[in-house]
Amino acid sequence: MSLLEDPRELVPQLVEREHALNELDAAFEQASAGQGRVVLVTAEAGGGKTALIERFCATRVGSARVLRGACDALFTPRPLGPIQDVALEVGPVLTDLLREATPYQVAGALFEGMQRRQPTVLVIEDVHWADKATLDVLTLLARRIATARVLIVLSYREEALEAAHPLRVMLGELSSGLAVARVRLEPLTADGVAQLADPSGVDPDGLHRVTGGNPFFVTEVLASGEQEIPPTIRDAVLARAARLTPAGRRLLEAVSIMTPHAELWLVEALSGEIDARVDECIAAGMLVSENGTVAFRHELARRALEESVTTARRLSLHRRALAALASQRLGEHGLARMAHHADAAGDRAAVLTYAPAAGAHASAVSAHREAADQYARALRYSEGLPLSDVAKLHELRSDECYLSDQADEAIDALRAAVECYRELGDSFKEGETLAGLASTLWCPGRGEEARRTARQAVDLLEQLPPGRELALAHLSLSFVLACALDDEGAWRSARRALELAERLDDPDIYCKVLYRVGRQELRKDSDRGLATIERALALAQGRGLEHLVADAYLARVEAAISAHRPDAARPALEEGLAYCQEKGNELIEHYLLADRALLELDEGRWSDAAETATRVIRRRVASTYPRTIALSVLARVRARRGDPDVLPLLAEARALAESTGELPRLAPVAVAEAEAAWLRGDPESAREATADALTLAVSAGAGDEIACLQVWRKRAGVEEPPEALAAGPYALELDGEAAAATTMWADLGRPYEAALALADIGSEAALREALETLTELGAPAAAAIVSRQLRAIGARDIPRGPRPATRQNSAGLTVREVEILALVVEGLRNREIAQRLFLSPRTVEKHVSAILRKLGARSRGEAVAEAARLALLQDA
Amino acid sequence: METYVILRRNGWPTAEDLEEASVRSAAEGDRTPDDVAWIRSYVLEERDGSVGTVCVYQASSPEAIRRHASAASLPVDEIVKVAGTVIVRPDPAEVTA
Repeated sequence: MSLLEDPRELVPQLVEREHALNELDAAFEQASAGQGRVVLVTAEAGGGKTALIERFCATRVGSARVLRGACDALFTPRPLGPIQDVALEVGPVLTDLLREATPYQVAGALFEGMQRRQPTVLVIEDVHWADKATLDVLTLLARRIATARVLIVLSYREEALEAAHPLRVMLGELSSGLAVARVRLEPLTADGVAQLADPSGVDPDGLHRVTGGNPFFVTEVLASGEQEIPPTIRDAVLARAARLTPAGRRLLEAVSIMTPHAELWLVEALSGEIDARVDECIAAGMLVSENGTVAFRHELARRALEESVTTARRLSLHRRALAALASQRLGEHGLARMAHHADAAGDRAAVLTYAPAAGAHASAVSAHREAADQYARALRYSEGLPLSDVAKLHELRSDECYLSDQADEAIDALRAAVECYRELGDSFKEGETLAGLASTLWCPGRGEEARRTARQAVDLLEQLPPGRELALAHLSLSFVLACALDDEGAWRSARRALELAERLDDPDIYCKVLYRVGRQELRKDSDRGLATIERALALAQGRGLEHLVADAYLARVEAAISAHRPDAARPALEEGLAYCQEKGNELIEHYLLADRALLELDEGRWSDAAETATRVIRRRVASTYPRTIALSVLARVRARRGDPDVLPLLAEARALAESTGELPRLAPVAVAEAEAAWLRGDPESAREATADALTLAVSAGAGDEIACLQVWRKRAGVEEPPEALAAGPYALELDGEAAAATTMWADLGRPYEAALALADIGSEAALREALETLTELGAPAAAAIVSRQLRAIGARDIPRGPRPATRQNSAGLTVREVEILALVVEGLRNREIAQRLFLSPRTVEKHVSAILRKLGARSRGEAVAEAARLALLQDA
Repeated sequence: METYVILRRNGWPTAEDLEEASVRSAAEGDRTPDDVAWIRSYVLEERDGSVGTVCVYQASSPEAIRRHASAASLPVDEIVKVAGTVIVRPDPAEVTA
């Protein structure tokens, strides 16, 4: 039997892809001009993504540097696998980082490596299989390329993405950027299939019907040379492979157990002499060769072949692959592959060697989900291991689950570790693990269990000679009690922990305890608390305790917010966010973002608040606290703007908060519910929503929360005496000092609250001014309530309904855009505007590009001229 | 994606202005197909001689609609969620404002 005679047929023919190629070309042109772009290529499996990208890359040889990486279909992918693929070409700095670095560092090195005179095309295929670290790197990279000569092409299968898929989260984050384009490849039409089938004599209608126009399926059927159309892709692939020599077919089988590609030396180790046979498989269009590796032309073909291999032969292939890889000293990068082959070969000793090592490497590059999977793999083979080793594996797995939003698994793993230590009779380790379990339980909102577990740890360890374990147990107990606003209990444990820590020679524990003491002091004396936190922070920086450093930023922000000092909160917030992003600390980043959403809500910046809250909601982290806050912020934005879909957000927030029974979570949700109910004219629900939180706040003596809750109850028509004496604008409003409250709110930069307090004065002048502010703010629901109050006191000529701010000037600029335009006219740069208005530079950038677009201006200078021509800034 | 009705009353002085806005709207929608999809609109003849619209969109959230509107400089008076659809007859082929 002869191989394909016409070499032109080796390159898959592309039909019905002109549009897609044009899109890629256009994006490349922009990238070449220094406007970096991301193009997402999506299609079903076999939909022609690779063929399209290959054709595109082939046309760029010479005009661009093309870097290509692929994600593996391994159950547990290699951490940063696709980045590793391109690292050799990018440079040694990147290669070194892939051993141990945060996604931020990897993205930075990759970005630097792509800064050249010649444009770079970075192709990563099959990102639906990417590990978490790779997705983080790509997200960070995409944010930086706007002015770089870089085109990023990512391909993925749309059908492979369930709602919570990490890639969906990444796509959601990219979608708000301007530099992202999408190319969706549809199945071929009947005409397209006929065009491909033309010389073969295969019935084109039948071929279209059976294949559904799937280009890979069509190509395989035609390449098999059969007239009869095989019913599935798998049959088509195997029919094509059946045309190879037996030796060629055996080589294919060997390659099929390796993904995404196999080094030639490895193939040789598995199936002996290879030259002629590799050539045969390449000539037949089954394999492609690149940089000393071979790979299947398509994952669907690989899978078809892999499934056709007998179990016994598959075992033997995996065993040989493992031996060959182990003899090569590949370092960290070989670990995930070796663990995979060891598992597939059922080699217990090898799994116990490589899986934990692969887990440690995955963890070191922030691929936490993959690390957790590797430890789970080792645990499946752990029967007969010493119990202390098993406990250690559970603890490692728990850490990684905790860092990859698998809170329940993290808790179960720690429980299993506790069991191991109990069985061993190691009460110190049992107590220490229980203390860790308590904090882990608190995160997803299991407050009651957390407090019980922390007490259990303390009770157990207090019976033993005091040491670091007892200090840690008190630290944990103090934390979970503080979260429930049990100040007395939290103080007692913090002091005991400090007393113990001072006697220990363990600076890390001392630093953590000191920080906890500072957080507790904040409750009573802000200055003293902050001073203690600064001391702990200095120690933490010296000892590289990054999580504590991040946490200290959060403490500063929260202290500033509760002292009504937004001016102090903002810089700490932005600094903290930058720190968290650099260190890859998603958890604290989310806490800070939730606080930012709250501040933006307070300032009446609905769109910014909604955007920040959405960022928090989109990604899940171990703690549900930030999510609870973000849900209630987004619900309030929607309610204030009169938008739909308020109740589902509140229902989720309520469910999350209620399970904790903790005031810091319940109060914000209750207030959001009360406001939403008040705005829709349902005071009864507002009263119900606040009842439990108020009782809790009263019993905890939380003055600010009490005042805030009672103000909302008052608005809903509840007449009750103030429950506590507190300072601040809510308390003033509660005491009937509406005018003083209005001034105070205005001084704090909170226009919405100021308008509501103003309306509380009740005079016609006050109501009119409140109505104007609320209309200007884009708060039609509250404006309607104030309008009704005006009508009720007999006022006439009430401005009819809210007029959207966008219609107030001829260019359709929003109020914020006019404000920014005025600063552009003054000659300020984006960074300066950002500082002036307390916005992020990115937000300013977006506003400025919206202004330019609306004014039809190509530069700031043109915008300034246009603003003058349209007299846009006369009233501003 | 959920379905929403968007009211844009008295949005444009003339039908030509609306025409320009439609082009911006469609272009912006193409850029973010996962977030908003424009289904159809009815052009309103407003009493003061201006034109407005009632638009049916599918969107991932109310914020996505507002983002789209702000990027394409379209006014938004109100966003209402659609709970169900009753189609009695197909739309007339063309309605001119």
